[in-house]
Amino acid sequence: MKRLYRAFIALITVAFLSTPTISAPVELHYWHGHTGKLEAIINEIADRWNASQDESVLIPTSKGSYEDILAAFIAAYRANEHPHMVQVYDAGAAIMVAQVKNGVVYPFEDMAEKYGVDFNKDDYIPGIRNFYADSDGKMIGIPFNSSTCLMYANMDILEAAGVDIPKTYEEFEQIAPKILAAGYTPLLQSHSPWIWTENFFSRHNLLMTDGNNGYDDVPTTTLFADTPEFITHWTKVKEWKEKGWYDYKGRAWGDNQAPFIAGEAAFWLGSAASFSGMKGVVPNFTVNHIPYWSSITGGKEYPTFIGGAANWILSGKSDAEYEALMKLAEFMTSPEQQLFYHNMSGYAAVTYSATDLANEIGFYEASPYHKAVGEQLSLTGSTIPGGYRAGNWPQIREVLYENYPKMLNGEISIEEGMKRMDEGASKLLAQFAKTL
Amino acid sequence: MKRVQFSSYFTQYFFIAPQLAIILIFLYLPIVQTFRDAFTIQDAFGFGRYFSGFDNFVFVLSDPNYITALKFTLIFIAVITFFSCSIGLLLAVQANNVIHGKSAYKTLLIWPYAIAPAVVGVTANYFFSERLGILYNFFNGLWGFDWYDNVYDAYIYVFIAASWKQISANFIFFLAGLQTIQKSIIEASIIDCKSSFRRFWTITFPLLMPTTFFLIIINITYSFFDTLGIIDTTTIGAPSGETKTLVYKAYIDGFRGLDLGSAGAQSIIMMLIVLVITVFQFRFIEGKIHYN
Repeated sequence: MKRLYRAFIALITVAFLSTPTISAPVELHYWHGHTGKLEAIINEIADRWNASQDESVLIPTSKGSYEDILAAFIAAYRANEHPHMVQVYDAGAAIMVAQVKNGVVYPFEDMAEKYGVDFNKDDYIPGIRNFYADSDGKMIGIPFNSSTCLMYANMDILEAAGVDIPKTYEEFEQIAPKILAAGYTPLLQSHSPWIWTENFFSRHNLLMTDGNNGYDDVPTTTLFADTPEFITHWTKVKEWKEKGWYDYKGRAWGDNQAPFIAGEAAFWLGSAASFSGMKGVVPNFTVNHIPYWSSITGGKEYPTFIGGAANWILSGKSDAEYEALMKLAEFMTSPEQQLFYHNMSGYAAVTYSATDLANEIGFYEASPYHKAVGEQLSLTGSTIPGGYRAGNWPQIREVLYENYPKMLNGEISIEEGMKRMDEGASKLLAQFAKTL
Repeated sequence: MKRVQFSSYFTQYFFIAPQLAIILIFLYLPIVQTFRDAFTIQDAFGFGRYFSGFDNFVFVLSDPNYITALKFTLIFIAVITFFSCSIGLLLAVQANNVIHGKSAYKTLLIWPYAIAPAVVGVTANYFFSERLGILYNFFNGLWGFDWYDNVYDAYIYVFIAASWKQISANFIFFLAGLQTIQKSIIEASIIDCKSSFRRFWTITFPLLMPTTFFLIIINITYSFFDTLGIIDTTTIGAPSGETKTLVYKAYIDGFRGLDLGSAGAQSIIMMLIVLVITVFQFRFIEGKIHYN
């Protein structure tokens, strides 16, 4: 036993003494909120980067959902154990942009200039560029996985019902009875706050909060009850649910998507990024723009807000690390990597040079699925800002989640629900304003 | 008897230091921090922190959703404690009477105790999912069960999910309690009384009271604090926030919403609630129990 112990000690000593002293490449830690297939795509990008050069090594870590990652990285930041770069989602954009003044987040634009990275602001698709920018238009986050809400359609069901893909909700109302008569659920959607609230406002060029969606002033209230168009929309949704044209399966994303995947529903409103999970699983589906009420927009189509997330550079690292990080950012936003990511995940390409490359090689003819996301985000003519800057937004989404089912099952009227949502949001906005 | 004493003060403190360190770091420090958070306003990163008095408490208590969660939590605790205790007791009495294959029954009934709450929730999900769920379809056939839409159906869902695991815990303790009852008492009671039902309520059950009291406390703390994972993996508060417990709400506000002030205030309110419940139990119930 004693001999064994001595041998063990000797072994440890040798292990310590023989530690190599050559300088290792810079480690870059990146925390992201992708799981499953999307995580595999991130790992593939990391492998490509690590193989392409030997100055730095990218170590991506999946931290679960977007909500989890925000909490995880903030806890890590407070303990000074944070990564170099973190992926934070749309609803967290206000939190991240507000942290620039506290020195938590370094603006992408400043860093790109400082470290001489090839960076052309005008190359970024405006909707994507402005969403993660501050009120002066300075880019803070690095646009990366940009999605938006889209409509997925099951072509087999449409054929069976003898109808076409609707462009507007008016058209949807025309065809819904036929789909129902053919024995299918006409419509489902997976995220009421994101798709039928935030993006209802963007799709119809309406302001969602005061203070110009928070771009001019810190917002104090949402404008749900003050927007008759929004009330009309939800009144219609309630009617649809009663008629069986729309089905609500609770707030879980997957539960609402399941009937579409099982081939029981004609249309499903989801994210552009849902594409990667459905490719090869659902036969014969298409990806289309999300419908709008032509009676509200006068027949005009407006862009939706960007969804998904951006990458944010965190403070507290060395110069050499930032230099390597900015080279990585250059790599990740290069047209080739963008196109790879666009193709694999279904997320939008964030730069014009990437979409140009896609057009050049005839990508959209080969895979028409990918066209809708870029088209919808590139629509022009909006007079509202390309996003919203409202703090405590993750909790405001909770307030919405709690009120929509009550409005749909008739427990409270639509008007009452809107009023309650405004009140709940105002309180949370006021709570956030205290921390500024 | 020889007196055991340390030669210097240093030695005894040396030996209790690790224990004390653990208690201070993992128990008292977080409590101090919770109080600090509850009385301050700060952003998620801890910047701009300033003292705000009772603002956070006013914010929490004026929220109608908080009152909803409070009501649900109280119902939740009562239902889970009652059902998991009574079913656990029933199973323990039955298993205690079995002669053949006794240990097989025991082992099988104890298994679910080893499962983490989040896993229990995921398992329950399979039973209550609209597409795969055996129980969903069974209840749906009976009265149109739909937890996405109906508050009471959602209650049933979380009640079943949360009590299932706890039944095993209660079973083990009740079985152990039954086995400590002396054979002679049972035998004497058999001679005195023919009805096994009456024997149980007049002899066995009173002798089990210490176990029952202990289990009631354990079950209350379980349903109060440990069911976070179950709510998060089953209804997520469906249909519209009615199945959120206080702990779940504190978690959502603190870790999802990143509002540490509100979450801190909620933690202190919960602490007070548990304090009141515990004092009540020890003052009014414990006095009626006989320990032998």
